[in-house]
Amino acid sequence: MASATIGTGTGASASVNTPAATGSGELGAPLYIAWQVTNECNLACLHCIEESGPGKAFHDELSDEQVFAVLKQTLDLDVPYLSFSGGEPMVHPRFFDMVEYVCARNGQLKIETNGHYLEPENCARLKELGVKAVQVSLDGATRETFNRMRVRGDFDRAVQGIRNLRAAGVPIEINFSPTRFNVHEIGAAVDLAAELGAYSFYTGRTMYTGNAVKTWHRMAPSEAQYDDFFKVLHGKTEEYRGRMRVHFHEMGLLEELRYRLQHPAALLIVLPNGLVKLINALPFICGDLRRQTLGEIWGRFQQAWQDPRVAKFVDDLAADPRATSTLHQWVYL
Amino acid sequence: MKLAKYVKFREEKFGGVLFETRSEKVYTLNPAATAVVREIQAGSDAADIPARLKARFRDDGGAIEREAVTFITELRQKGLVED
Repeated sequence: MASATIGTGTGASASVNTPAATGSGELGAPLYIAWQVTNECNLACLHCIEESGPGKAFHDELSDEQVFAVLKQTLDLDVPYLSFSGGEPMVHPRFFDMVEYVCARNGQLKIETNGHYLEPENCARLKELGVKAVQVSLDGATRETFNRMRVRGDFDRAVQGIRNLRAAGVPIEINFSPTRFNVHEIGAAVDLAAELGAYSFYTGRTMYTGNAVKTWHRMAPSEAQYDDFFKVLHGKTEEYRGRMRVHFHEMGLLEELRYRLQHPAALLIVLPNGLVKLINALPFICGDLRRQTLGEIWGRFQQAWQDPRVAKFVDDLAADPRATSTLHQWVYL
Repeated sequence: MKLAKYVKFREEKFGGVLFETRSEKVYTLNPAATAVVREIQAGSDAADIPARLKARFRDDGGAIEREAVTFITELRQKGLVED
């Protein structure tokens, strides 16, 4: 993990890290809340880790009153950074009210969307409200690969949505999930992101969970494909240095989780029904915002990571990497 | 001088954190650095901050004052503050 120092140390000094690498231990509140505001989605992507899709909203998603109570707690605790994802967050009936609430209280908010609702008027509103960034999933550099992966999705509509963001002046991030049939387009996808005006590009290994469990046999890239994929990304990182940040996780899931066991990130994952997960890649629930305050959940977050079932799950994952297929069978700590 | 648009500051028991949300970098601050940022957030003139810190912290040999100047310079260089 990157680390550096500003200040020379004996007087005013600071150490720098990423949110994911910032230990949660001594912090009074999370630094980042990643909120899946609904499981409903207009698309039904082959690789969706949340198994989202049309008609897939949870039956017990938070009520409007609960949603705004949680937002209030989040901002009262001075959590500096939130993201709204899903499902597709823009299909939530109170989406813009939620965005407005966060931005009005100076929260830094990122929207993670499939880009299908980014009409000019919506982009103008996101700009006006002051979102920090909109991250659009663009799993391919061509219509053929994108549409194959994003069932019900339309490459042209997503690309037009990104162009609308750019025209409105909203900061753009692009996310790319690799599969056997789009992995060769990674270089072109990075180039396309830059052409569309993105300032960040994110990718990493596609996870064996959610819809990917059913489609893995025809979707998972080979290790040789991943080798080429990361080689291209290293090159693109240099090519775009100073113009667009190319960010990718080469680390496998197991290494990542072993690191997390020792260094839980200052991050809470909030599910559409208010349950709070330790981390997306584990099935463990460490709180319920319908019954507990955010402060209470944060207060026992460190302890929850020390539960022996968490370490055992990670050990079991070493023996059977496909254990991630059970991530949606929640385990309450 | 003020914190840059995408920079958030929060006080903690150990000092504070600065979160640059575009680069997603988190700066963990010691108490003296926290005091500098608190002054910036309060709208203090950059030129006055070292002397204010000197009055607040034990400053044998003027280290805190010098470090505060260096720290403010680095905050500027990293784009964490703006005029």
